Amino acid sequence: MNSLTLERVSFWYPATEAPALRDVSLEVAQGEIVALVGAVGAGASTVLLAAGDLAPRLTGGRIVGTVSRRERSAIVLPTPWTQVSGLAFTVWDEVAFGPANLGWPTHEIARQVDRALEHLELGPLATRDPATLSGGELQRVIIAATLAMDSGLVLFDEPAAELDAEGARKLWRLIRVLAKEGKAVLLATSALDALPDVADRLVWLEDGAVRAVGTPELLADVAACDAGLGTSVATVWGASGLPGPYPLTVAHAVRRWR
Amino acid sequence: MSIRLLALIPVAAAISLALSAAVDAVALPLFLDTTGTILATALAGPGVGIATGVVTSAVNTLRNPTFWPFVVVQIIVALYAWAAARAGLFRSFRTAVPAGLGLGVIASVTSTPISYLVFGCTTTGGIALTTALGKALGLPPLGACFFGSFVSDFGDKAVTFALVTSVLHALPRRTAARFPWALRAIGAA
Amino acid sequence: MTGRRLHPFTLLAIAGALPALAWILPAPAGGACTAAVALVLTASRGLRRGLWPAVLTAAPFWVFLRLLHDVPTTIAIGLRITTMVASFVWLAATLAPDRLVEATVARGWSVTAAYLFAATITAVPMLRGRARRIVEAQRCRGLSPRGSLGNRLRALRALALPLVLSALHDVDERALALETRGMVSGARRTPLAPPPDSAVERAARWALLVACVAALIWRLK
Repeated sequence: MNSLTLERVSFWYPATEAPALRDVSLEVAQGEIVALVGAVGAGASTVLLAAGDLAPRLTGGRIVGTVSRRERSAIVLPTPWTQVSGLAFTVWDEVAFGPANLGWPTHEIARQVDRALEHLELGPLATRDPATLSGGELQRVIIAATLAMDSGLVLFDEPAAELDAEGARKLWRLIRVLAKEGKAVLLATSALDALPDVADRLVWLEDGAVRAVGTPELLADVAACDAGLGTSVATVWGASGLPGPYPLTVAHAVRRWR
Repeated sequence: MSIRLLALIPVAAAISLALSAAVDAVALPLFLDTTGTILATALAGPGVGIATGVVTSAVNTLRNPTFWPFVVVQIIVALYAWAAARAGLFRSFRTAVPAGLGLGVIASVTSTPISYLVFGCTTTGGIALTTALGKALGLPPLGACFFGSFVSDFGDKAVTFALVTSVLHALPRRTAARFPWALRAIGAA
Repeated sequence: MTGRRLHPFTLLAIAGALPALAWILPAPAGGACTAAVALVLTASRGLRRGLWPAVLTAAPFWVFLRLLHDVPTTIAIGLRITTMVASFVWLAATLAPDRLVEATVARGWSVTAAYLFAATITAVPMLRGRARRIVEAQRCRGLSPRGSLGNRLRALRALALPLVLSALHDVDERALALETRGMVSGARRTPLAPPPDSAVERAARWALLVACVAALIWRLK
């Protein structure tokens, strides 16, 4: 069952001639992880905003086509310091901000917040002031705050941007856990090497339109590598002049080599 | 109030309170503490501007308790900025700077009674000394007080208006289009 | 009596009533009483956070007042200013913004005003930090506080413009984040840790209001 469906969606930001999205169609089912990949400006962030009912409602502009959502959605944006509520002076309160706004009873809020803090390993930081946290810590707090809202559709825009390698690994593991819990996940990321283990499906965006849809194997395509959207292994393989098809991951390369 | 305006007000107020770092670096005797208020008004109208002015005063009072009585000045500034925005006076420095000077006069006129009644014209050391000078020159008490406020407000408001004009013109069209008043303020709508 | 456990509205009521009474009641006795109370309150916050800042802020006024006015006027105005300064210093040292937000929410009032106040308090240090970084970066490019007025104004623009533009860009993102976290969900926000309010404090707040109004009526007669 599809949690999110975009049908032939085109979108123009206010006061701009060129559309940011052109005829984009995609679906995300419950328990599925779909990744959006593309060059900067390809429209991945805009797809997420449209999916989260933020464009054009909050951004202004014009939309054509239909966006249907079966669930409440929540979005994690790339810059953590602009997502801080401004009302909370501890991490716990920051994570509780969303659930409190939804008017949930106190025990439910506590349950969701503690669960989210545990998922993101933020227990030791619960009483810290968000203003004193590093970029990576703050990004984890924002992700926890979004998870605490227990939405069925979770949207991520470059969630690993501020995280170190270990933090990013934990994040991808967490996203798989979310999908297993039945949530639908749509994520835009430039961390291509992580996608073979994380994403069920990939949507390749170019200039606001869907260029290709497929499994993560797409990232080993010659075309993708030429466009700079191959995994590191595939790109290096191709650049060294070795014959195709390019291997997707180190494991694939090792198998090819043998 | 739309959520975007709700997000604008604290940022605009914080701008007013954070510009002091820039002012110190160039060693100019300016406050620029109405920048956020004027900018918010030019972008989103008088209601948002007044709210920004009140919040600026409230937060500033935590740092310096003497600011609170002057919240009235922030409100007057917002109303004046609204009139200026409606008239498209932010379209160039040639119109903005005189408008700013005009605001300097009005701001001093508004702050003088407050300075006189609440502080006996001793709002700041600078104002107190210029008031003393005014008295020595034979001005009546209220006049001397106005002289003191005027000297500091005049240039400050002109520079603030010029700065807001620069900001409005530097905004990408896509961003400006999302604020209800921005384009009108620069005479582009 | 540190005031730490008083309800935020009580703190606001006291910090509002003392200066009001200082102005309403006849000088110098009225001002002397309120100033004394205000100074005692600041002293209860300790020397470093309370009394010393209050005294340091209020002292220059006395000097300048004496420069401009005779002794009775100096005392009258000086006491009023001291009351105001001390009351607000005490308030700033005592009021926890999150408790104020929670108190507003617990009352069922719109969280908007409290949000604007609290969000500004959190935004200021962030923008100040950004301003300092911009100043440092420009210093590396030769910015100096010397030079003609024109140069300095141009330098000011080079510092202020990036700060303001980046802050405005943030507004878009903040709006998206607030929306997605349910800020205007329409549901009544759940109070997370409502500060306890007692009947005594409520009565005291009303009493302060009545006292101010009564004093005003008495003075106007």
